[in-house]
Amino acid sequence: MSRDHQRIIQEANALYMQQQTRRHFFKDCVTGMGAMAFGSVLGGCDWLASKDANSIHSNPLMAHAPHFAGKAKSVIYLHMAGAPSQLELFDFKPDLMKLDGQDCPQSLLEGKKFAFIRGVPKMMGPQATFKQYGESRAWISDHLPHLSTVADEISFLKAVQTDQFNHGPAQLLMHTGTPRLGRPSIGSWVTYGLGSENNNLPGFVVLTSGGKNPDAGKSVWGNGFLPSVYQGVQCRTEGDPVLFLKDPAGMDRDLRKASIDAINEANKLTYEEYQDPETVSRIAQYEMAYRMQIEVPETMNINNEPAYIHEMYGTKPGQACFANNVLLARKLVEKGVRFVQLFDWGWDSHGTEENLAIDFGFVNKCRATDKPITALLLDLKQRGLLDETLVVWGGEFGRTPMLENRDGKKNPFKGRDHHTEAFTMWMAGGGIKKGFSFGETDEIGYSAISGKVTPHDIQATILNQLGFDHEKLVFPFQGRSFRLTDVHGKVINEIVA
Amino acid sequence: MIITVISHFHPVLVHLPIGILLLAILFHGLSSKEKYATLAPAIPIAYLVGSLTAILSCITGYLLSGTGEYDETTLNLHRWMGILVAFCSAAGYLFARNKNGLQLKYVSIVLLVLLTVTGHLGGTLTHGEGYLWKTVSADTKDSTVAIKPIANAQEAVVYKEIIQPMLQTKCYNCHAATKQKGGLRLDTQDWILKGGKNGKVLVAGNIDSSEVYKRIILDPVEEKHMPPKGKPQLTEQERLLMQWWIATGTDFTKKSKDLQQTPAIKSALSSLEKLATVATKRTDVPETTVSKANESTLDALRKYSVTILNISDNSNWLSANFVNCKKWNSDIEKQISGLKDQLIWLKIPNAQLETSSWKTIAGLTNLRRLSAEHSNITDQDLKQLNGLSQLQYINLVDTKITAMGLQQLKGNNNLTNIYIGRTGIHTQDYTMLKTAFPKAVIDTGSYAVPFLATDTQQLHPKAK
Repeated sequence: MSRDHQRIIQEANALYMQQQTRRHFFKDCVTGMGAMAFGSVLGGCDWLASKDANSIHSNPLMAHAPHFAGKAKSVIYLHMAGAPSQLELFDFKPDLMKLDGQDCPQSLLEGKKFAFIRGVPKMMGPQATFKQYGESRAWISDHLPHLSTVADEISFLKAVQTDQFNHGPAQLLMHTGTPRLGRPSIGSWVTYGLGSENNNLPGFVVLTSGGKNPDAGKSVWGNGFLPSVYQGVQCRTEGDPVLFLKDPAGMDRDLRKASIDAINEANKLTYEEYQDPETVSRIAQYEMAYRMQIEVPETMNINNEPAYIHEMYGTKPGQACFANNVLLARKLVEKGVRFVQLFDWGWDSHGTEENLAIDFGFVNKCRATDKPITALLLDLKQRGLLDETLVVWGGEFGRTPMLENRDGKKNPFKGRDHHTEAFTMWMAGGGIKKGFSFGETDEIGYSAISGKVTPHDIQATILNQLGFDHEKLVFPFQGRSFRLTDVHGKVINEIVA
Repeated sequence: MIITVISHFHPVLVHLPIGILLLAILFHGLSSKEKYATLAPAIPIAYLVGSLTAILSCITGYLLSGTGEYDETTLNLHRWMGILVAFCSAAGYLFARNKNGLQLKYVSIVLLVLLTVTGHLGGTLTHGEGYLWKTVSADTKDSTVAIKPIANAQEAVVYKEIIQPMLQTKCYNCHAATKQKGGLRLDTQDWILKGGKNGKVLVAGNIDSSEVYKRIILDPVEEKHMPPKGKPQLTEQERLLMQWWIATGTDFTKKSKDLQQTPAIKSALSSLEKLATVATKRTDVPETTVSKANESTLDALRKYSVTILNISDNSNWLSANFVNCKKWNSDIEKQISGLKDQLIWLKIPNAQLETSSWKTIAGLTNLRRLSAEHSNITDQDLKQLNGLSQLQYINLVDTKITAMGLQQLKGNNNLTNIYIGRTGIHTQDYTMLKTAFPKAVIDTGSYAVPFLATDTQQLHPKAK
């Protein structure tokens, strides 16, 4: 371009700029603002662009490589919903026994808030006998006679702290990183990051037992703002594992395939027009449902397992029970499912009724879960899978060293209230130290004095074992990047082997 | 009280003279050019404001120096240089107002040097000696590697190799030669034992009376918590080792092995060694790098429902899972051979393979992990796998192999994990295998969880 041309253009520009008045500025700003707002709206939808440019043709559940080579390939998370008492299982406090029946000192009550304790409660000593087990000399109570034999496989976290003393928010915090609704659960994050090793099965399976779903509802395995293809798939343990998966009578598999193909063709057109990522999710879900029709009933059927396995786990085929779910978890992990989440309801030992009594219902819960959990660790080990499967056990908080006095009155049974300041969780396998204990509580198990960890730290550690930097596993939503651990979380390197 | 508060403004105020005077010097320099001549009237006022703020900084600085927490020599130098800055800037104002161009030029140059040096000295006082060249990442980013790896933690002198490096990274900034907050120095044995202005900070053998330790375990929101909020904190392991050192008598010469150790201390000490061997690196991933695998080969295998991917984002090493591909054809054999350089982890659970396919696997010489549980592998096939010299993990659970078959891998010294539960290998073979693979953990399975009567009994209160 010659100099003259440039001059003309420059002059034209200058003239144009002169005409830009304050009015123009504001007028342009309105559309500008609108464009910015629109951009952030679209920002929430650009997961496709950020991950894979032509995702419409690829499966969102396709396996992905993690940030670094993780030691664990899959996770089995055993959540004891309601929060089991650490003081009757792992956190042995002989000094608390001496205080049994005495009034709780004011210093422990001042400025504290409890879910149900009012006024001055009595202290309650451990309602179990403790012994040390294994080379690691781990303290375990007589409620868990089986688990004590595998103490040397486990890393205990004795000083977990949370800041939520109600079940729902505490469970949400433990599984989604925030006590409020709306964020993706840890299993969704993991499937979003890693995809599934087995195309014929969902990447994230949820199994519940104990008669009720966890208090926080299905949000604890929800996908939040991640595409819904990453949500946990809840499988039933009685009847059809996944409802409406069977073809109706008279429809054969070819016809089913043809109809799904046709529906997906239509969905692809819809996607091209509206670019809604949920359409891609729907396509993937149809395709997965078709593949699952064969694989799921086979994997979810524990009847074909040999007798010695049933004896080991104490399973009851045909019934809905925790032991069956544990065995299923092992089968699913063996098939390449990334994240198996178990919720067992009924650990809320307040002492308000027999089932929730620390000396009755709680003991029965221990009995029902001790054998299957122990069997799970040993079975994974003998299959060469324990090193690459991370097993996590815990509740959403712990229980008070005080006897609960609901609304200042004596409860009909012995029980403990919700306690946030210190409780025990454990991890095993998946590159976690064997036979280790981290963190300490004070003489009566009231507060953590060292090795404090939070739900965010536990989440960061789980992601770390799978090969993720928890600060980098992010998803753009509403104009900023979100992550599971929000702005918190530190990998508990002390328990990493 | 109010004076102390005013003195705390010194570190903020000093930025005013620095900025304003630099601007004055810049304006002065530029105004000699015709293009910037219009800047000239601004020069006197800039010098005036600069000198006034410099005087203000001197006053607040003098108040701050009274706390006596700083290294005397550095402080003196900083003090006099600061006063000089104030003088020179005042002189600069006079020269500028009277248009004494030459004098102003000399003053400007001197002022530039003075500002730089005084500023640096101030920085040294606040952030500690050598703050300028210190790399930030070393002590703030990853606090877990704060203590340098030690080759043999049991043979290490506790103070010199474990405690001192900890003090150096976490405490010296405020408690060493350049700065002694609370009159406390922690950089030599004498100073540590001497304590701060409120007396001794260590009581040998008594952690509950040792101020140092009490401050460390104080809730971080408390004002007296050390290191202060926002500064790099001691890690859990460091806290444990500090507690151990004080509890065992704050000895400055003894080695770890001479001090009494609890299991927790033992593991903390051994984890110090682990850092030395870079514990985070896993052994089943080669240290070297490899070229990218052929994308078309990967796609071809994915068509057979094989899950195949890089072991991590920044690595070309591959892992493959054949959980949905139990039978191989000649094309799969061909494709997988093409990945022999990159493939290090292979899962073929329940595989029903022909001899030729096992031969293909035997050619994957970089394999570190092979999971062939529930497969149709035989002793003959196992013999071929002898060539997999890098193999560390082999899973043969629930296969037909026998002790004689497994013995064929005897020459492989890298094997560390062998799983042989529910195979043709019997209890009497275990000792022989243990000698054949001395380095390996051989898992023979057959674990049982005994039935206890309580497993199915429900506990109920006795009827009244």
